Amino acid sequence: MKNEKTQTTIGLDIGTSRIVAASRVNQDEKVQAQLNAFVAIPYSRLTENSLKREHVPHAVSDGQLVIFGDESARMADLLGREIRRPMTRGILNAGEPESLPQIKEIIGTVLGDSDKNSKICFSVPAPPLGVEDNLTYHDATIRQILDQLGYKDVRSINEGVAVIYSELEDSNYTGIGISCGGGLCNVALSYMSVPVLSFSLAKGGDFIDSSAASVTGELINRVRLTKEEGFHFNGHFTDKVQQAIAVYYDDMIQSIMQGLKESFASSRNVPKFGRPVPLVLSGGGVLPEGFREKFEKAMASVSLPVPVSEVRMAGKPLETTARGALVAALSE
Amino acid sequence: MASLTPIQGKAPNPVIRAVVGWQANRIPDPVARLHFLRRTVGDLSTWNPASAAGRSHLRSHPGRLAAVLGALLLLPAGAITGSGFLWNRHPIVNATVGTAEAISASSVWAVEQNKDFETYSNGLRIERRYETGNETRSYDVYPRGFEDSGRSEARTLPAGIVFHTTESPQAEFTEDQTRRIRLIGAALLDYVRSERAYHYVVDRFGRVWRIVRETDSANHAGYSVWADAEWTYISLNRAFLGISVEALTQTGTDRSEATPAQLTALRTLTEMLRAKYRIPVTNCATHAQVSVNPDNMLAGYHYDWAANFPYAGIGLPNNYSLPTPSLWLFGFTYDTSLVRVTGEQFWKGLALGEEQLRQNATAHGMSVPQYREALFKRYRKVLSTFKAKTEKSKENIG
Repeated sequence: MKNEKTQTTIGLDIGTSRIVAASRVNQDEKVQAQLNAFVAIPYSRLTENSLKREHVPHAVSDGQLVIFGDESARMADLLGREIRRPMTRGILNAGEPESLPQIKEIIGTVLGDSDKNSKICFSVPAPPLGVEDNLTYHDATIRQILDQLGYKDVRSINEGVAVIYSELEDSNYTGIGISCGGGLCNVALSYMSVPVLSFSLAKGGDFIDSSAASVTGELINRVRLTKEEGFHFNGHFTDKVQQAIAVYYDDMIQSIMQGLKESFASSRNVPKFGRPVPLVLSGGGVLPEGFREKFEKAMASVSLPVPVSEVRMAGKPLETTARGALVAALSE
Repeated sequence: MASLTPIQGKAPNPVIRAVVGWQANRIPDPVARLHFLRRTVGDLSTWNPASAAGRSHLRSHPGRLAAVLGALLLLPAGAITGSGFLWNRHPIVNATVGTAEAISASSVWAVEQNKDFETYSNGLRIERRYETGNETRSYDVYPRGFEDSGRSEARTLPAGIVFHTTESPQAEFTEDQTRRIRLIGAALLDYVRSERAYHYVVDRFGRVWRIVRETDSANHAGYSVWADAEWTYISLNRAFLGISVEALTQTGTDRSEATPAQLTALRTLTEMLRAKYRIPVTNCATHAQVSVNPDNMLAGYHYDWAANFPYAGIGLPNNYSLPTPSLWLFGFTYDTSLVRVTGEQFWKGLALGEEQLRQNATAHGMSVPQYREALFKRYRKVLSTFKAKTEKSKENIG
């Protein structure tokens, strides 16, 4: 039998709320995702056996059963506990003592039994606007985790640039990529594949949820559910939670516009584009119906130094960053 | 390995970006193209060949210098000053409007014709009692995407079919209401005849009534817009035949408004007309799909068959999902009132029409509002040419 060597390439989106892996083995692509969260419950053999039986990803740590990934939300709900997050605002959560072992477990779950010789490219956020690069620890730690999992051929990519690599092939990877995630909104401008500027804003889904919860007196979880299950921009809101969500979405969009203006103003290296560039929206934050139109309207009211030809939605907003990271890894 | 290094130095000059853009556009595989761009534009030293680093880089990569010079020689004149080679991969027009496949003309033929009725080989019977004439059909068609180029082609045969509903009062479709249904139907036919409103009416019992002769135009769709793979039609009163089903539109449900007898009649009538005039399937559309109002540039001026038209039931593909031509060819928009009455499938056509408009704007290097404005101008120019030619005839907004 002919022994054919297979090459696996993986794009990894290390997001505050989800970790997504897009992998390609020869020509076959697949995507695996897990919630980037966990919940710890007291250890009992009975519970552990039942988790094993149900193939629920879990680990035993310090006499506790730690359930991580997608199942953590369901278990937290069942047991009336809060889920815990290994990351916050796009980077490792310094206030969470279990962040490193748990994120390692979750990354291991989405990577599954993929070939350890795989080439991996993972996403890192851009520094917040006006702040010097403080991402060295985050970047180095994710590399270390991947190294511990056995992956040696590892590189990283700016999240906004990954969005551009995933969606803007038709403009030779020129344009603006925006990823509105759970912790951050990442923005990047690229010129023929090369990043020109990038920044992040700490106004993602978590910001909307917590802000709307605080002004309405609702639980954050209820706000999140309202946002994810029924919220849309095309209508009149009679529900106060929906109204509050709309207000903070507006705030997020306005902050992105302001961020773009400021970052253009402070950058001396923006090339002349010669023609308007496309802008692509991705991430879980852009999913509500009418978001693109809302964004387009907000953009029409500010004057950006680079004219935008169109605002388009990514094909699969929840997988865009991982796919872009995969494209980056493949193009090495 | 490090992350991609952002641009630190001077951005590439127009020569380099034109050469690189031109070369990139010759690489069909997206990943290979990205690899090429990252290795050329992404290499900082090539951003500023006049710098010490750039000169040193080019000296140590003589092959790259030769490639750049060679590519420069291959570039068409004017390419460097323009930005066209940055990206130009979107086709200007790529909407799937389909190719023309027509039923063979011999597949349906006339069996009997007299002053009262006609019958056809597929079982169709056409009643002629209400038949009348109108203005003889003649119209121009315009090359799709180049409607204002001054080129057009004169035609006299119908190019397509528009399906309508009469939106007339309805009695319950039960046996005991037969007399009432017939009375309402007769009044409707009188009215339609006086208005020269359609070429055909299919009444509730499935009887097909010819109103305006096929050789003439009827006042059924006014300045509506449609396009096939090759041509754009801006006066469907003249270019398309109008068939109206005696019905009231029921929006928001999956239920067809046509009775089973009407469905059968619609199918045989459509078959006959498509065979007789070699009408492609993609030139069969509903009034809601083609209707526009040039005064406010809104599509969907009329709502009949905005949802639930039984395309499959009459042997046609689901043309609701074709990108709505008025949106992407002439920049028409639509408002929430159309969205409310639109079925899920026509909604797809509207969304695809908008998407096509966006793609074409990108291909032209314009923002969507700029591009839409250019399309408005194009439409007004074509419309004024058409109006000048037809100023003596009665055309409706439609």
